[in-house]
Amino acid sequence: MKEFELEQGEHVILQVRKHWFLFLGELLPFFIIAIIPFALPKILPLAPPLAQYAGLFDYSVPLMRAALGIWLLIIWTGAWGAFTRYFLNAWVLTSQRIVNIKQRRFFSREVSSLFLSRIQDVTTDVSGIIFSLLGIGNIKAQTAAEDVEFVMHGIPRPEQMRDLILKYVPEEDAKPTGV
Amino acid sequence: MPEQPLQPFSPPTALLTYLPNGITTTSMVEWALYAVFAFWAVYTIIAVYHWLKYSHASWVAFPAIAVHLFISFALIAYALSGTLFV
Repeated sequence: MKEFELEQGEHVILQVRKHWFLFLGELLPFFIIAIIPFALPKILPLAPPLAQYAGLFDYSVPLMRAALGIWLLIIWTGAWGAFTRYFLNAWVLTSQRIVNIKQRRFFSREVSSLFLSRIQDVTTDVSGIIFSLLGIGNIKAQTAAEDVEFVMHGIPRPEQMRDLILKYVPEEDAKPTGV
Repeated sequence: MPEQPLQPFSPPTALLTYLPNGITTTSMVEWALYAVFAFWAVYTIIAVYHWLKYSHASWVAFPAIAVHLFISFALIAYALSGTLFV
């Protein structure tokens, strides 16, 4: 892990990303745009004034082949970029902290840590039929400071993640008091 | 306003006949292809840089890059098959 150095005795327990279903949702616009050149020749004849333009989408014509190739290349590159950003966004649970790695876009990356010893409360939120069926939800970790929250959106099996976090939150009695 | 039938617009191939002297359809298409390929190359280099910098240890990194390059080259070959090889 290059983003952060593990402390002595610290180890990575789990690394999670957004649920794959949410990533598919991000891919949907790319898919719809990609099928437009194939759908138009079939849709245009249904509207008589536009039917004559269906013949333009003849991909045996060199110009149209080039146009289709470019169209699909741009869409594919965009979709692959979306996958890159999806993969580079992650939450890492270690034995001492939760690390949130946010890749908003290329060259915009934020890595923040929340030490488990500061966590007071962990809340899971699963709402909606599809999200309940697929086990997608949010986790909110609250610290003693009211304004400090750590929210993980759209992660798979949030209840298991919450239990895992709570398992590694140090007991209050075990904390050094400094006395 | 009297009702008139829809006037068909000129298809791209017809518009290309109005190009200024010295500029051919082929050269325009080639330059458009160069521009798109340059954009693709820059975008790919940036994305690969991010993969290698932040996910170099992941087993997904190299297959993801390989799949991207394979599909991209296939699409580039398809696009060029209409202009350069015909």
